[in-house]
Amino acid sequence: MPHPVPENGLVVFAKRACETCAMVESVLGELARSGQALTIFTQDDPGFPASLRPVDDTTLEQSFRFDVEAVPTVIRLEDGRETARTFGWNRTEWESITGITGLGEGLPAMRPGCGSKSREPGVHEQLFARYGDTGLTSRRITLDAWDDEMEACFERGWTDGLPVVPPTDARILRMLEGTRLRPDEFIGEVPPNLSPITVEKVAVNAVMAGCRPDYMPVVLAALEAALQPEFTMHGLLCTTCFSGPIIVVNGPIARRIGMNSGINCLGQGNRANATIGRALQLIVRNIGGGRPGELDRAVLGGPGKYTFCFAEDESDPTWQPLAQARGIAPGRDAVTLFQGDGIQGFVDQRSRTPQELTRSLAMSLLAVAHPKLCEFTNAMLVLAPEHYAIFRDAGWDRARIERELHAAMVRPGKDVIQGAHGVGEGVAASRRDEMIAKFWPEGLLIVHAGGQAGLFSAICAGWTGGRFRHESKPVTREITA
Amino acid sequence: MTPGLELRDPTAESASALRPRTPPLATLDGATVALMDIGKMRGDEFIDRIEQLCRERGVATRRYKKPTNTRVAPRDMIADIASTCSAVVIALSDCGSCTSCSTHDLNDFDKRGLAGVSVLTEEFRHAFEQQKAAIGLDAAAIYVPHPMQNKTTDELHAFAEQSIDRILAAICSAVEPSPLERAA
Repeated sequence: MPHPVPENGLVVFAKRACETCAMVESVLGELARSGQALTIFTQDDPGFPASLRPVDDTTLEQSFRFDVEAVPTVIRLEDGRETARTFGWNRTEWESITGITGLGEGLPAMRPGCGSKSREPGVHEQLFARYGDTGLTSRRITLDAWDDEMEACFERGWTDGLPVVPPTDARILRMLEGTRLRPDEFIGEVPPNLSPITVEKVAVNAVMAGCRPDYMPVVLAALEAALQPEFTMHGLLCTTCFSGPIIVVNGPIARRIGMNSGINCLGQGNRANATIGRALQLIVRNIGGGRPGELDRAVLGGPGKYTFCFAEDESDPTWQPLAQARGIAPGRDAVTLFQGDGIQGFVDQRSRTPQELTRSLAMSLLAVAHPKLCEFTNAMLVLAPEHYAIFRDAGWDRARIERELHAAMVRPGKDVIQGAHGVGEGVAASRRDEMIAKFWPEGLLIVHAGGQAGLFSAICAGWTGGRFRHESKPVTREITA
Repeated sequence: MTPGLELRDPTAESASALRPRTPPLATLDGATVALMDIGKMRGDEFIDRIEQLCRERGVATRRYKKPTNTRVAPRDMIADIASTCSAVVIALSDCGSCTSCSTHDLNDFDKRGLAGVSVLTEEFRHAFEQQKAAIGLDAAAIYVPHPMQNKTTDELHAFAEQSIDRILAAICSAVEPSPLERAA
């Protein structure tokens, strides 16, 4: 039980570590001798100030309940209601609140105080979780005092196989600080169970994925994109294929939250890259019920199904970023979700002209899904800076590169029909006399990213669901939340 | 159980917070049932009679005994049971540590695909419910009267006779407890 606070009188909050608090110890003595009811709550040292019988508030409960922002704070209570408050040392204000003149003889007229311990980073949410009304509505799961909380999350099937951050109220509240949306706001229905999801549940899963609160707008936009009907998340998560959502982040937010668009950007080591993609996958698992072996029926899956998220390198002004190529205004933040597999490396350290490089890239891109399958999947090409420089130096922009690549991937039907070259796989025999493109014009997404050194780009094959050209498409969505 | 950390459910909450247990076996024919004595005093007398009753019903069993009821079962015992048996009966918990440790053992077996049931005394019904909630498993239990430490061997055998079909029904869907037992 918290210490009772008198209905009338003065309440002071202080801590020993605050020099101003130490300085006004003699003033507090004057208040005590004045005969007024005085309660001194001490935040750090229960013995401070020693002569004045302080009340231990090292739990910070009263500091939280009185919403103390700085120490020393002096509050006047009348009939249980706060009628005046000051913080720091200011003789005039202290005299006004206490009704005592001549306080603190010999002290300067004023001196600022220190921050309240209850307002230190991360503390307020913990106090809120403990003493406040969190408003959270997700089911409470109470562990035994001896339980290992990490193991408890595994036991309940909440993880992707890696440990998750246990979703405590304090962490969830901090995560919710990362968005302007209300916790109870409805975002959509997550497949395969088509279970409704609110911002609060997004936050719970983002906590578990290891996100920081400032990633929340990206997680929310990625989820909204994934839930667009044309993204076909339902089919993508249940597929027997390798694919999962690949998230490309554009705009200033990528730099603000520290995303990696450079060295090893498709690999490990960056918290935002790693956890934003993971949060989306945990939502699919925990809210949607999309668990491997149940409705996720991937034959092999792929490591990208843990997480596959990176930022585009927008530092070269000659390069039009992916989001802008897909209709987002310059300077705005956006996510693009692509239904894709893991990477296929593209190695070319010999090409010197854009024509050479185009032919070379086309050879590798033709292998996506199968060299003889055409208009069957989309593809994402992550063009490394050194490869892009060959195009740029010749004056080729995104549109030119796309146009030339598509042109280099048109082949006679007789070479790619089923049975041709002794291989059963291929396009329908009826297309023997056509010239056949590898991808639809909109089916090749090029992203500029990677370290500055190395003539190595990456190809991510698209999901086979992409063969339904008008039914399943990559989705770009502006980040607004 | 002392409440510990409180988490929030990340799921759609369309299902119980508890993981469904491994379903009961379709038949006991050809199955071997582990009878795991948790090591608590007098439990062996109860299990002796359970073992006899299984034999009379043609149910193959293997008998195990934990070194102590105050800890979870040794890893090699768990591994041995999991590799040789397809169901497990854990008995007889009549204290807090028994209940907690045996429920963890039950969970361990469940995750290895064994149909399992724990036998406890009535007094520990609440503790079992708490422990299974904390573990997150919709575990099965059969209760016998409390206390048992002051009972005669015959009385403990009678407990076994009154509960055998309920115990087997918990691990095999083909077994029907008698009306008398169901009432119990």
